[in-house]
Amino acid sequence: MKQWKQTLSSLIHPLIALLIGFLAGAIAISVTGTPILQAYQEMWTGAFGNLYFLTSTLARSTPIILLGLGISLAFRSGYFNLGAEGQMVLGAVAAALTALYMPGSGIVKLLAAMAAGMIAGGLWSLLAAWMDAKFKVNLLISTLLLNYIASLFAGYLVTEPFKDTTGSAALAQSRMIEQGAWLPKLFAGMSLHAGFVLAVVIAILLTLLLRYTVFGYELKITGQNPLFAAYGGVNRTRVMILCMLTSGALAGLAGTVEVLGSQYRYIDGSLTAPGYAWTGLMATLLANSNPLGTTIAAVFLAALQTGAMGLERNTNVPLEISSVIQAALILFISARFTYSFLKRRKEEKNNGATV
Amino acid sequence: METILEMERITKKYGQFTANQEISFALREGEIHAIVGENGAGKTTLMRILYGMEQPTSGTIRIHGAEKRFANPAEAIDSGIGMVHQHFMLFPSRTIAENIVIGNEPRKSIWFDRKQAIAQVGALAERFRLPIAPGQKVGDCPLGTQQRVEILKVLYNGAKIIILDEPTAVLTPLEVKELLITLRGLAEQGKSIILITHKLHEVMEVADRITVLRNGRVTGQLEASQTTVEEVSRLMVGRELDGIRRETQQAGQPLLQVNRLFIRGKKGKPLLDHVSFHVRSGEIVGIAGISGNGQSELVQALTGLLPVDEGTVLLQGKEITNRSVKQIREAGLAHIPEDRYLWGTAKEASVKDNAIMGHHRLKEFQRGGILRQRKLDQLVTGWINSFAIKTSSLANKAQNLSGGNLQKVIVAREIGHATPFLLACEPTRGVDIGAMEFIHQQLMDKRNRGEAVLLVSSELSEIMTLSDRILVMFEGKVVGELNAETATEEQISLLMAGGKQP
Repeated sequence: MKQWKQTLSSLIHPLIALLIGFLAGAIAISVTGTPILQAYQEMWTGAFGNLYFLTSTLARSTPIILLGLGISLAFRSGYFNLGAEGQMVLGAVAAALTALYMPGSGIVKLLAAMAAGMIAGGLWSLLAAWMDAKFKVNLLISTLLLNYIASLFAGYLVTEPFKDTTGSAALAQSRMIEQGAWLPKLFAGMSLHAGFVLAVVIAILLTLLLRYTVFGYELKITGQNPLFAAYGGVNRTRVMILCMLTSGALAGLAGTVEVLGSQYRYIDGSLTAPGYAWTGLMATLLANSNPLGTTIAAVFLAALQTGAMGLERNTNVPLEISSVIQAALILFISARFTYSFLKRRKEEKNNGATV
Repeated sequence: METILEMERITKKYGQFTANQEISFALREGEIHAIVGENGAGKTTLMRILYGMEQPTSGTIRIHGAEKRFANPAEAIDSGIGMVHQHFMLFPSRTIAENIVIGNEPRKSIWFDRKQAIAQVGALAERFRLPIAPGQKVGDCPLGTQQRVEILKVLYNGAKIIILDEPTAVLTPLEVKELLITLRGLAEQGKSIILITHKLHEVMEVADRITVLRNGRVTGQLEASQTTVEEVSRLMVGRELDGIRRETQQAGQPLLQVNRLFIRGKKGKPLLDHVSFHVRSGEIVGIAGISGNGQSELVQALTGLLPVDEGTVLLQGKEITNRSVKQIREAGLAHIPEDRYLWGTAKEASVKDNAIMGHHRLKEFQRGGILRQRKLDQLVTGWINSFAIKTSSLANKAQNLSGGNLQKVIVAREIGHATPFLLACEPTRGVDIGAMEFIHQQLMDKRNRGEAVLLVSSELSEIMTLSDRILVMFEGKVVGELNAETATEEQISLLMAGGKQP
């Protein structure tokens, strides 16, 4: 009963945020002259209306889920990983190149590419963690800035040494991976691929990790009060290193499944332009870093985007309506985030005065 | 004596919860009236109502017989009520005079008249015999002086009724003595004083009358001269307190040996200056000292939270100097931290998650990295029963527990480690009398089992009740060792303030 009540109260805030988001969207829609209800109905159809739309929503959500899970793991341990984008891009390019140049059968290439993608993302994140542990470089800043290096480096790889020269168009992209190394599609003719299943399984695994393991316990406590963790003998540096490594590996995996499951090559800018990493961050914030909640929020945010595409096809409301709703969401959620941050700061100050 | 203030049948409800239930009390002119009660008894709520920070659900306030209603503190101040808060509200970078006159500054046309301010404040301090230097910066003053500034601020605003909220919590024993003398002086000059506290010895020393609150009700109104500490504490707690008895017991072998521990400070003054002592099995060694004289650093060094520059620490003959917290704990140390919110708990986490810290690593409670939840639940439920911890469930967040209950969780956890050595820091700070007695008994039981306890406390009475030997720290050094049987409070106070051992 008590627990049920707690779960419910933790849902109230995101639900209010959603309501306000849709309210803001309604105002924007009414400006275009389209009836509001009709517009939202079109949006729903565009996102979930039939198997095709449903599977494309889920396909779009796949990298967002994985990114969100990685970010939430870091958040739960009290560390910021704003570098998911760079980790994802490096993972993607590493996976693409491994699948292209690894000798062996298709399945060997596939597995090697997935491993390479996770390792690349993980190591990139580890670099920031190491700088924090060794030189006290603030993670918030280092992870954010490492994004630029990663994106530009990946861009360089596919414009210079590994550029696809077979096609007629002079795009900055790698060659296409052979079909044997692709992630299988879940339904013939639909875009949804095995990466989605992987993402859901990982979400469940993370939930179990947090709830039932020694490491999960130490991670949560480190996030809730690092001094208490230190006092209790938890090795915080180890927790941070492991969390950042996993967080980066999941971001790398997000890039990997996009390459192996839907694009079959690394195309410069194809992962950064849709803002997957930032949508993943939003899913995490919306779900307060709960892995299963993050998964649901990621699907929702993906649906918002695919739904808006449907809306644009059938009415004169432009695609950008999803940005309006998202922006209102961000505003509201970050308000809470800032509020709790300020509250904590204030409490720390008060506690300091009592001593 | 004339009655200056009456609070009649004051009731304050927060939803279902009744913080004050028909509380009536009268304050006479020129008396010191103590309001005592455990945490949560309703003292603070009652004073917030009087000071206009809260509105009563029902009941009336009369000053000199005239009914008053205070919508905010400014109106209360206008009626001659002043409050000295527990946490000082001063600007450390400004002078004493500036802090006192703020809000009501003397002016020369539109300019602030600093000379006049200093003169007025000086005269005020002279009149009420509160020695201060008006031109000094508040940040440079010791806490005792800062408190005098707070009192002067209230007097400057023309207060006839002065409320002091736990005024001695932050003071050294000598400063406490001075404060009590000051309060008597103010009362003699016709000021009426309401003293909120839970330190009964101070109450008996200074108060004329005592109102005791328990669970939001008045359980007694007494003349201080006709009552005893025992009677007041019985009214506060609602039952007889047994008191702690220390049976004589032969101490065993040294269990903890600290040799010339040294930590360099940032400003050239060492934080720990070659500290040496030992704790034997079957004894409690108390470390007395005013906060900030190296006790925190000593504790952090012993527990592995702060690296030391020189010296060694041996626990059960094994060197643990500069080892990790985990290694030191495995070597046989448990630790009740001095600040339960900062170090001792994660308040967002559940009671269970807070209680299992350290235990979660033991073979008994995990298998291959998977926690054995059922066994952990049993462990914590056992403590909740045996320590009488009030919580709605294991999943309840720690921040919902009262200070005393949370402290019991910490004590249960650390005593539950069943280590040969326990480092107990401020084990009863901010805890009510009932919980305090319970925790003291736990520490005493541990000693009687032949285990060793190092007790670090700024509460002298705690040190004197529990310890077999007493060490006094001053400016990072151990400046004296006393036998608890023969030591007097005066001796210890003197050493704490940096005096020589007599």
